[in-house]
Amino acid sequence: MAPTPGEKLTNFFKRRDVIIASALGVAITALTVIIGGWWYTKWMPTALSTDMKSIERLMVIFTWISAPVCGTVVAITLYTFFNRHKGDTPPEDGPAIRTRGPIVILWSVVSSMLCLVAVVYGLIELNSAEGKAQADAPHAMIVEVTGNQWVWNFHYPAQDVTTDKLMLPINQPVEFRIISADVNHSFWPVQLGVKADANRYQVTLADTTPNKLGTIDVKCAELCGLYHAYMETTGAVTTRADFNNWVTAQGGHTA
Amino acid sequence: MSADTKFHMHHDSPEQVGRRERLGVRLLIVADGAFVFGMIFSYFYLRNLNANNGWIPKGGHHLAASTGWVIVLPLIVAAIVHKLGSRQMASFKNISIITLIALIVGLYLQWKQLAHMPFQVDGDSGKVFGFEGSYSSSWVLIAGANMFHYILATFISLGLVIRARRAEVDPILEKWRLRTAGSWFTWIAISGIACAITTSII
Amino acid sequence: MTTLDHHATTRPIPNPKKSLITKLNMGTGMVVGIIFALATYYLINPHVDQSVAQEYNRQLLATMFMWSLGFMIGIGAFIGPFRWLIGKDLTDEENLYLAGDGQGIKRYFKYCTDHKVVGIQYLVGVMTMLGVGGTLAMMIRTNLIMPGSKFVSPIIYNSLVGLHGITMIIAMIIVATGPFGNYIMPIMIGAADMAFPRLNALSWWVLFTAIPVLCSAWFLGGIPTGWTAYAPLSVQAGPGMNAFIATIIIFAISTAVAGANITATVVAMRAKGMSWNRVPIFVVGATVSVALAIPAFPTFMVSMIMTGLDRTFATTFFDANFGGSGWLYAHLFWIMGHPEVYVILIPGVAALMEIAPVFVRKPLFSYNAAIMGFAGIAGLSVLVWAHHMYMSGWMPMLNGPFMVTTEMISVPTGLIFLVLLGTLWRGRPWMKLPMLGVYAFLWNMLVGGITGLYLSDVPADNYLHGSMYVTAHFHYTLMGAALTGALAGLAFWFPKMTGRMLNERAGYISFWFVQIGFQILFLGMFIAGAEGQPRRVSDYAKTFATSNMVSTIGAYMIGIGMIVLLWAVVHSWRFGKIAPMNPWGSKTLEWTVPYPVPLVNFDTPPVVTSDFYGYGKAEK
Repeated sequence: MAPTPGEKLTNFFKRRDVIIASALGVAITALTVIIGGWWYTKWMPTALSTDMKSIERLMVIFTWISAPVCGTVVAITLYTFFNRHKGDTPPEDGPAIRTRGPIVILWSVVSSMLCLVAVVYGLIELNSAEGKAQADAPHAMIVEVTGNQWVWNFHYPAQDVTTDKLMLPINQPVEFRIISADVNHSFWPVQLGVKADANRYQVTLADTTPNKLGTIDVKCAELCGLYHAYMETTGAVTTRADFNNWVTAQGGHTA
Repeated sequence: MSADTKFHMHHDSPEQVGRRERLGVRLLIVADGAFVFGMIFSYFYLRNLNANNGWIPKGGHHLAASTGWVIVLPLIVAAIVHKLGSRQMASFKNISIITLIALIVGLYLQWKQLAHMPFQVDGDSGKVFGFEGSYSSSWVLIAGANMFHYILATFISLGLVIRARRAEVDPILEKWRLRTAGSWFTWIAISGIACAITTSII
Repeated sequence: MTTLDHHATTRPIPNPKKSLITKLNMGTGMVVGIIFALATYYLINPHVDQSVAQEYNRQLLATMFMWSLGFMIGIGAFIGPFRWLIGKDLTDEENLYLAGDGQGIKRYFKYCTDHKVVGIQYLVGVMTMLGVGGTLAMMIRTNLIMPGSKFVSPIIYNSLVGLHGITMIIAMIIVATGPFGNYIMPIMIGAADMAFPRLNALSWWVLFTAIPVLCSAWFLGGIPTGWTAYAPLSVQAGPGMNAFIATIIIFAISTAVAGANITATVVAMRAKGMSWNRVPIFVVGATVSVALAIPAFPTFMVSMIMTGLDRTFATTFFDANFGGSGWLYAHLFWIMGHPEVYVILIPGVAALMEIAPVFVRKPLFSYNAAIMGFAGIAGLSVLVWAHHMYMSGWMPMLNGPFMVTTEMISVPTGLIFLVLLGTLWRGRPWMKLPMLGVYAFLWNMLVGGITGLYLSDVPADNYLHGSMYVTAHFHYTLMGAALTGALAGLAFWFPKMTGRMLNERAGYISFWFVQIGFQILFLGMFIAGAEGQPRRVSDYAKTFATSNMVSTIGAYMIGIGMIVLLWAVVHSWRFGKIAPMNPWGSKTLEWTVPYPVPLVNFDTPPVVTSDFYGYGKAEK
């Protein structure tokens, strides 16, 4: 008498290889979740803006989404690796499993769902970033960023200051208008979680709101010729008062 | 293995060979199609972007829309004549010359256009010729690709004319070759029309 | 059978004194090529002011193309087309001669149409390129061992990066479809040769002419733009850039020809009974790969012709002052560039799918899922190019859609994992060298795939784009996955291609050195990227010192492993144990022919009655 589907499933989970591999899979998934919780945050520099914070969060969540995939793949590879055949002659033939329809479907559905979660989460993040940018736009401080081979220049039109240090007041929405004087560059204030290419004759917009005091490293993230590696400068997120003092010292005027 | 098994290599039936060759040419047409797509994409991309108003800069020139169509006509004639002519091997001997002449005329016209385009702005030094903007650049690229099509087609057409006059060519295989060449002629006519439509939109 | 049966009684021997084709070889090709190049260079020279960049570029580009043309004339590539033109098709004797019948080692240096010769030529060519690219990588990592760029100047560093990139990309595109696609694949489908044997020789020798051109970049000031050669940087770059342009254009021709040839072979020349659901998975993968390359590479060629025109005739495709745009370059480049990474990946994966059933002694799990995986990847790959341009500002509103298509690729990629894991499951793998490749692939592709997920996400890419993280990610997919697959393929098919077994001990040593070194190298690089180090930098801040040091140690381990592998291949090729006809007990057709493989592969054309994965006991 053929076993019912329920019995089949019970028998399946009674098999030695299934038990070991499942246990391995669960353990590796858990391990990935735990490590994924702190791994990227450990290496990434201190976040000085909400954008950077949300990137850190995103990296963690994406690691968690991929944890079950990681667990499954590593568990099966490890199990079969330690179950290997030794010797110089080919092993005996294994079971002639051509395919298992339900497994293929289950695998496709689960991986599609995981992918969907990642897509939806990413789209929500993207949308909220864009929404925030639009809301902030009217009262944003404008910084015109120009990439030259191989220096960054910052012009603050409202303050009438031109400088090579990126100074930003805390909690002030800022809009970068990025342009290049020659070849392509990519404006990357690392701790702000912002990146945008500098193109010739095409202004690229990027925005953020620094919400923590600290130093900013500004780098170029697009190969731009001989001294690409040295096309970097620093800056800082300061208090409003310090920023105003700095503007005055640069000969600009505060609003 | 014996010498005679070796000798049968590649000796499939002419139908098999012919079908295979046509497939190969069609695959190469896909590659060429991607090339033409790239050019047309670039044309419209630069046109719509019009960076720094440089598509046709102030005081710049552009060619009449008909310029591109002049080049396409011989292609269309060649493709149609070849298609009709290759139905009958007997008459192809004479008709194929019309294809060849059409292609040579087209080749000449294309060469004339390329050599006399009104884009050289740097007339004084006479050394470097300049392009006024991205319109002229895109135009020249498309004309150059047409030129390449013409050269290949003329080579093929010349071969077909010569071969139609030789007895030792396998007639069944040759019939397939005509169809294969026809694929190429039809394709370059289509791509020529696409390019002419593109350059008509200035 | 054919109209030419009457010839079959006598063995034809071409008159060696009369026929031109018997006299041409690589040497005459080199001579004519060099004559053409020198003649072009010196004929143009009086009319050119070399201090004017455009004129010098014109001279150099013309010289490079004329070298290539001259070489092809000199080696006899145009004899066939010319004879066709004048209506005197090559005779059977001549075709047989071109196939290299009975010419021993000499045929490897001729315009030989035998697919097995072309396969070996590709193998040697690929190994040379990997060796050059790897040496460049060692130099890059040496310079990055500590902050301060102590070993080379920025200009040399940038050249190293550009040359390493493009050499490796070209090598990786042909690494599996070149040697195995040409040597093994026709035998696998039971064909006597490729569909177009002369085009096959053409694709290899055209590619060969690109190698000296690419090398000349080194003496012309290098390729300072990275392999992506973004405009307008590439337009203002020095004379070495011409070598890049010429190489890519030549390479694109070679790829289109090879792609059409392989595709037509698989479509039209399969053995009797080999219906589409019986085609070995490697053949499917190789075909998908080259068929994807056919429409992909011409757009790269367009972009290179534009760069060339900008550099030589002052057109303004990429000059924003006059209506051009660097974005246009990026579009054309990545419309090719993203399908291209799958062109690299798929044959490697397919080779592993061919290997796994043999060593696990189980059928390939869900052949259909594998096909769907390949088809899904190939189909989606043409819709994702702009994920390289999230930050370029060309159209931010399309970032969302491109993010969706990009992340969707994880589903067909998941199917590929399923196929390999399903094949392993409940099996007892025979852990020979090729099988180890399957394991290395699964791990590396897992890492490469997951890290790709972060990069596909627009907000995360705000941080990761252009950083070392990207470099580490694509090395995991291209080197960790695709190259591992190709090397496993080498270990697997080495007995068929050389008649000898690959030295096992050296193979294992090399495998573990390479794989462990690889993990160390790119673990360090992932961390450097997460810490915020941009890619392609000759120097970096002290913050990144530890991670870069770790990376360099890993790189040296890979270097040692690769040298061992090179020794193993060379040594085994000459002195290795003579291989039996079917050392792995595989069921595919290439193991049914002896070594050396006869000229037409099969004495009697094989007839296929089932697929090739009939391993395993019937299920209880």
